[in-house]
Amino acid sequence: MTIQILGLGILSWITFIPLLGMVAVLCMPKHAHVAMKWTAAVVTLVQVILAAVIYFNFNPTLSGINTLDGMQFVERLTWIDLQSNTSFGRIHIEYFLGIDGLSMPMVLLTALISFIAVFASWNIDKALKGYIAMLLLLDTGMMGVFVALDFFLFYVFWEVMLLPMYFLIGIWGGPRREYAAIKFFLYTLAGSVLMLLAMLALYFSVVVVDPATGEKIHTFNMLAMMNPANYEPNSLLAGIGTTMRAIAYLALFIGFAIKVPIFPFHTWLPDAHVEAPTAISVILAGVLLKMGTYGLLRISYPMFPEMAQQYVVPLAILAAINIIYGALCAMAQRDFKKLIAYSSISHMGIVLLGMCALNSQGMVGAVLQMFNHGTITAMLFLIVGVLYDRAHIRDLDAFGGLALTMPKYTGVTTVAFFAALGLPGLSGFISEAFSFLGAFQNESIRLITIISTVGIILTAAYMLWTLQRVFLGHPHEKWRSLPDVSPRELFTLVPLAVIVIVLGIYPSLMINFMASSLNHLVDIVVRGSIHTTVLQF
Amino acid sequence: MLTEFGKIFIFFLLGIGLVAAGLVTAWLLRPARPYPEKRATYECGEEPIGSPWVRLNVRFYIIALIFLIFDVEVVFLFPWALVYRNLGLFGLFEMVVFLGILFVGYAYVWAKGDLSWDKPTPQIPTLHSRVHFSEGDLQTPSEQRR
Amino acid sequence: MVTETILQQLVLFVPELILTGTFCLILLTGAFTKLRDYGTSTLTLIGSIAAFISVLPTIGVQKSLFAGMIAIDSFAVFFKLFSLVCLIGITLFSLHAGELKLVRTRSAEYYALLVAMTLGMFLMASATHLLMMVLAMELTSLSAYVLAGYTKEAADSSEASLKYILYGAVASGLLLYGISILYGLTGSLHYTTINHVLAVEPLSRVPLALVFVLLLVGFGFKISAVPFHSWTPDVYEGAPITITTFLSVASKAAGFAMLIRFFKLVCVNPVASVEAGYSIPLLPIDWQLLLAVLAVLTMTVGNLVALWQENLKRLLAYSSIAHAGYMLIGVVSFTDKGIASVLVYLVVYLFMNMGAFLVVMVVANKTGSEDIRTYRGLGSRSPFLAIAMTVFLISLTGIPPTAGFIGKLYLFAAALDAQWYWLAFLGVLNSVLALYYYVRIIRNMFLRESESAVPNISLTSGEVLLLGALLVPTLVFGIFFSPIVEIAQKSIVMLGVP
Repeated sequence: MTIQILGLGILSWITFIPLLGMVAVLCMPKHAHVAMKWTAAVVTLVQVILAAVIYFNFNPTLSGINTLDGMQFVERLTWIDLQSNTSFGRIHIEYFLGIDGLSMPMVLLTALISFIAVFASWNIDKALKGYIAMLLLLDTGMMGVFVALDFFLFYVFWEVMLLPMYFLIGIWGGPRREYAAIKFFLYTLAGSVLMLLAMLALYFSVVVVDPATGEKIHTFNMLAMMNPANYEPNSLLAGIGTTMRAIAYLALFIGFAIKVPIFPFHTWLPDAHVEAPTAISVILAGVLLKMGTYGLLRISYPMFPEMAQQYVVPLAILAAINIIYGALCAMAQRDFKKLIAYSSISHMGIVLLGMCALNSQGMVGAVLQMFNHGTITAMLFLIVGVLYDRAHIRDLDAFGGLALTMPKYTGVTTVAFFAALGLPGLSGFISEAFSFLGAFQNESIRLITIISTVGIILTAAYMLWTLQRVFLGHPHEKWRSLPDVSPRELFTLVPLAVIVIVLGIYPSLMINFMASSLNHLVDIVVRGSIHTTVLQF
Repeated sequence: MLTEFGKIFIFFLLGIGLVAAGLVTAWLLRPARPYPEKRATYECGEEPIGSPWVRLNVRFYIIALIFLIFDVEVVFLFPWALVYRNLGLFGLFEMVVFLGILFVGYAYVWAKGDLSWDKPTPQIPTLHSRVHFSEGDLQTPSEQRR
Repeated sequence: MVTETILQQLVLFVPELILTGTFCLILLTGAFTKLRDYGTSTLTLIGSIAAFISVLPTIGVQKSLFAGMIAIDSFAVFFKLFSLVCLIGITLFSLHAGELKLVRTRSAEYYALLVAMTLGMFLMASATHLLMMVLAMELTSLSAYVLAGYTKEAADSSEASLKYILYGAVASGLLLYGISILYGLTGSLHYTTINHVLAVEPLSRVPLALVFVLLLVGFGFKISAVPFHSWTPDVYEGAPITITTFLSVASKAAGFAMLIRFFKLVCVNPVASVEAGYSIPLLPIDWQLLLAVLAVLTMTVGNLVALWQENLKRLLAYSSIAHAGYMLIGVVSFTDKGIASVLVYLVVYLFMNMGAFLVVMVVANKTGSEDIRTYRGLGSRSPFLAIAMTVFLISLTGIPPTAGFIGKLYLFAAALDAQWYWLAFLGVLNSVLALYYYVRIIRNMFLRESESAVPNISLTSGEVLLLGALLVPTLVFGIFFSPIVEIAQKSIVMLGVP
């Protein structure tokens, strides 16, 4: 399935349209605020429409992951091709885009969250031109990560996000923004350089034979890297279960773990979230965190299946720590935003636990949880933003009885909170249930799963307690005059709430599209079933 | 087993030993009767006046350097002169180029005035002030003491 | 017979002759005519472009000239073109340099010495004889000493010059001492002959180790590798910024050329290496490990000290030390890939480092200060300048999609390929360390407001053009890097290496 628009594939459009928007915004005069905002809005709207087109044209039966014919909307062009001479092998880097059931939900999520983030930043006045430009650049980077199938391309997109994020937190953030921004930058770069080494090691190990000339080519093609037959004998990462492979797996893992973030690499997250402006927190929690788990599923799992199996228990322990530690930390917070930040850590733990299950239920739960957490946590951060915009403080204990003065706000918040704590009927429940269900079935991590379920209770506790502290009880005099949620804010919140409710009732809308791919991924990891794809160059 | 360097080393030792031996013998044999004239710096029989630690004009160094450069280049002329017959016209041309480059340096030095031995014109600082000074004010402290 | 061969060989020596001619011409012009700044700089430009054109026909030639004194090969041609590009760039920089405006009357010397320095670099890159190497190095160094103190009215410039001379004299003294021992051991100054003797005769370890260390002092001084780097910050800070840029790019590149050619030709077993497919070291000491340790020290010390710098010139000086460390990673393996990666990195480094220095120069022209605090609020005062600086700094850090990333990628790939895993690991950790101080500048430009009412910095069209000429390659080579990689791969051909 391919869709072309003006000779370019739809995935190129969805990735690079924000970049076009950025160029347009940069060309505008400094004070054309309205024009800039609407450009961003239109660009992201187009992105959402394209994502919808992809969704409706997506063939749920194709599995993808490591098969070329299972990938959809594929675009494959040669980017760098250096002919070999003397002692240099041929260098071949592709512009290779494509999606399968694993990346499709992420593409949808990215388009949606970016669109909402534009509206959530409607009130930004300070250096708006720079803000919009950075936001759109970030958008391109995020989308690119989810559609790239060439590791080099993936890495470039992954790194392209760093600088805009640094500026977005550092210029438009809260009081400790400089600290938070540099911390984010340093942590992420430290992770990604390790990933770079692992990527190079993979590159030198994987060899594809060009059928035309019979020439051996090293390649960054992810699909080729997933096929054990492509590993050159005696190369760095050849074989199964070698120490070098363990090291490479670990390097990749740290790179991704910092992004998720997995305990003990999580300390950048509360700072970044608290200091970032609302829209950026939304993007950070809604999309960026997912890149870590996406990377684990897209790269670590299929390329190092034996390692993924071998390290299930340590990973599950980390997941349990994430779930419980995150929840406990959230419970101890008085800062509303920090509470949500820690709840993200806890919820990402559930994604990890689902991934550890190594079975269909767990995997589906994990990916669904990635999507659901993206929508729910985006709502939560928007909700914090609404309150902060009015009261200019986020101290939970300072509020009370807001339900009386801000009924609409309270309603939306309740939906989000209940979805976050996993109330049946809302989307959070489905994915959490699947994740725990899958993890429980895997005997090696059953005990860990049982312990982690404590996290659900803790989540319910802090969510309800927060609800109580902010919305119930006696209204403070000071906050009596707070206006209720504005139409623009509702416009950002309601679509997410609708998705949360719809997916809570009818999760097949998502699950159907990813089941085939994820089953295949489980196959690769557990049974080593490899559908060899001969790559044409 | 001696390497070529080993022989040089022995040569060094011998040299140092011989000189030291001579000095030590002299020191042992000679009578030591110092008096002031004997201890004074030898200046071709003249009595030295003042300290030898005086600052020389920097021009001496410049002239010395320039002399050194042009003098050392002459070294190249000797081997050239030896094989000149074999090299013929080409050799002549080469040397002309070589000396030409040297001449560029000479011309540059000349044009920059580094060869002229002008006495520097001392710049006496003048004071422009509307405040009226008496004669004594403009004198330095040492002049005043005198 | 002799004359004929020399005459024939002179055809390949035309670029050097043109530079010599330009040098003389500029000196005479400065001494005897009223032509000042624009005249002499135009002469320099004409001379360097003529030299550039005359180098082009020698591409692909492999020949040894003047009884094995120098080699004409792709490797040398690469560095010749590289230094000429630098020379042209620096000449254009100099026209905008505020520091040099005060001493326009002496501009002939300035440009003449720049040309002389370039000539020295030409010879450094092509020398295949130890004597020639030393001569070339001295020519470069002596010109550099004078140029570092060119603005002699400024106290720190004179100080820089003096420090440079003292360090340089010691370094070349030690280098010469090492060469004399090597000559004593092998009886030759020709690289290939020394290599042959080393391969055939069993020589004892201690004197060879001494030779190696002494030579390393000389080379290390030239590329400012730790622990021979201590002159770098003071000289870079004190010298006029154009000279600092030239030293940090061209002079360093020439130092690398010299180092690579020496080790590749002298210390690698040619026959065994061809059979094995990778470089097999020849000396009875593990000089590769020594170089690796040097690389790690250089990049770590450079980066760590740069963290605390307040003066941008000094900061960039330490950053250039760190970059020498990165490039040493590529040198260590001595594989074709390793050397090619160094060449790739040098090309990339040329654009990004010159760019960063150019921004510092422009800011210093307008504000008179190189302090990091003057950069506060530059993002709003002069967005183009600040964005350009950001791109250069990001590229220096090595983050895609800038050219710096490609450079780092090739270096680390070469290290991994040659199985120097720990070296690659320490290299990438260092690039994270480097991020902190590069981002400090970005932070000051964008995240902080200027303290007082500072006037906006307006750029002349010449400055904009120069910045653009450096900015475009920095970005384009980050996305489409085949040209530089191709050039680098073709340029590793060295005379005498099978």
